Amino acid sequence: MTYGTTGGTSGGGTGWHVSEEDLRAYARGGLPAPLLWSADAHLTACAHCRAVLADVSDPAALDAGWERLDAELDAPRPGFLESLLLRLGIADHTARLLAATPALRLSWLGAVAAVLLLTVAVTLGRGATGSPTLFLALAPLLPLAGVALSYGPVLDPTYEMAVVAPMHGFRLLMIRTVAVLGAGLGLNGLATLALPGYGLRALAWLLPALALTATGLALTARLGPVLAPSLVGGGWIALLLTADAARTGGEGPLAPFTAAGQGVSAAVAVLAAGLLVLLRDRFDLSGRRTA
Amino acid sequence: MTPTVSASGLSLRYGGTRALDDVSLRLSAGVTGLLGPNGAGKTTLLRVLATAVPADRGAFTVLGHDPGTSRGRQEVRRHLGYLPQTPGFHPDFTPFEFVDYVAILKELTDRAARHREVRRVLDEAGLDGVRGKRIRKLSGGMRQRVALAAALVGDPAFLVLDEPTVGLDPEQRMRFRELIARAGEGRTVLLSTHQTEDVAMLCHRVVVLAGGTVRFDGTPAELTARAAGRVWSSAERDPGAKAGWRTGLGTFRNVGDPPVGADLLEPTLEDGYLLTLDGLDGVDTEVAA
Repeated sequence: MTYGTTGGTSGGGTGWHVSEEDLRAYARGGLPAPLLWSADAHLTACAHCRAVLADVSDPAALDAGWERLDAELDAPRPGFLESLLLRLGIADHTARLLAATPALRLSWLGAVAAVLLLTVAVTLGRGATGSPTLFLALAPLLPLAGVALSYGPVLDPTYEMAVVAPMHGFRLLMIRTVAVLGAGLGLNGLATLALPGYGLRALAWLLPALALTATGLALTARLGPVLAPSLVGGGWIALLLTADAARTGGEGPLAPFTAAGQGVSAAVAVLAAGLLVLLRDRFDLSGRRTA
Repeated sequence: MTPTVSASGLSLRYGGTRALDDVSLRLSAGVTGLLGPNGAGKTTLLRVLATAVPADRGAFTVLGHDPGTSRGRQEVRRHLGYLPQTPGFHPDFTPFEFVDYVAILKELTDRAARHREVRRVLDEAGLDGVRGKRIRKLSGGMRQRVALAAALVGDPAFLVLDEPTVGLDPEQRMRFRELIARAGEGRTVLLSTHQTEDVAMLCHRVVVLAGGTVRFDGTPAELTARAAGRVWSSAERDPGAKAGWRTGLGTFRNVGDPPVGADLLEPTLEDGYLLTLDGLDGVDTEVAA
């Protein structure tokens, strides 16, 4: 927004004002957000700008503007997460969808951060030798759990309403998955930075995390949002225990964290993502339950 | 009149249970009541018509759109408002935020237009005074209103309400009935309920479902007429009655086949409903004295 040259603060019509050009755009309904929101807020307190707006508007457009302003005044202030997402440039409707995602709540993110801190502390306590196995084993499970908590009849209280809405269930799933995965991988990444002694070996959780999350989602289409991630998580732990039993010497990295294991993870992630896309229409209907 | 909803032969099994069996319906503007005992298949039928679950057999259309295809399903959903049996909320949201969230799911992405619509439906549901309050602090009746407001977003032509008056006290129930009556003006509303009073007060038509099949489809007056000459009063419970219960007057109200010379009473919708269910497998019409 551009303002007049008088400087000072808004309010009361004695400070700076919305430029006439912006007011004309506002009157036409052509002022984009977030300038629109700023104009809305300023107009409530500035009689001068309201008078200018009346001069540059046709009466019908002015009525529509007031109606819009009235509706804006009813809209509550966005919460912390929503405000953060808006500042990051996320569209307001997407930010609202994400604000309703359980795994993006501060309580969940705080729990993930606490688990990671504990794991990093244990890993550091053992000294930077060999492979940070505990961290690498745990880190892929956290995004899997976060995504599993984001969608489904058991964990999303509004699932039944969401599934019959025109927005495709797969689209909602993907919006939430990308956000939860981003947050989860970000926290894991920060934890990795706390383990500089291991170098790139401490990043060996990334591809397994993508593989587990994609596999969990793809199986959700058939097995549901509780059984599928549980099976995938259980399978991951079983795989690590098997790899540990098969490891000779006891000090080298477990098979999934070797170069070959990373390649397998990447292949599984790609295949599962492809399967997920093929099964996308299954997310558009609710799971059956007796009623 | 062209029906809003036209369904034929809808059938659905859950494991070994036949939840719906060859259900055919045509619904037009106004409030249609769906009555039936527990396990009759009411919620299943509503979930099928709301496109939450597909039927195993049969088909239906809403305003001519076939939800059997992905595109048709999306079109049906654009004309649908659905209040599920146990609507869930994000408790930290306010009514405004929650309805705004549902409006986004209903493809209203323009912020100003969406907020206007949110305000309209909150006003229609009588929530203008609490739109900024956290949902977790609202009473059960107010929460049901929030769910109704969410269902009304986008002015849907077909409104599906699954037992919306359950758990409400009498005053809340009466107020909710007023809201449903208003919502039914110019819309097709399918209202599932256990309460025959809901049907008597709101509905121009009633469908009785039991064992997954339609047992009655007609006007409330026609359902009431089924009990004409089959309700009588007696000093003691008549052992020949299908159902009988002591009234506030101390006498017994009996429903069934009256003895000769019985003191016949004016039938109610509930009497007709009980007689419609009488004799059906798994349906208990016995009423304790």
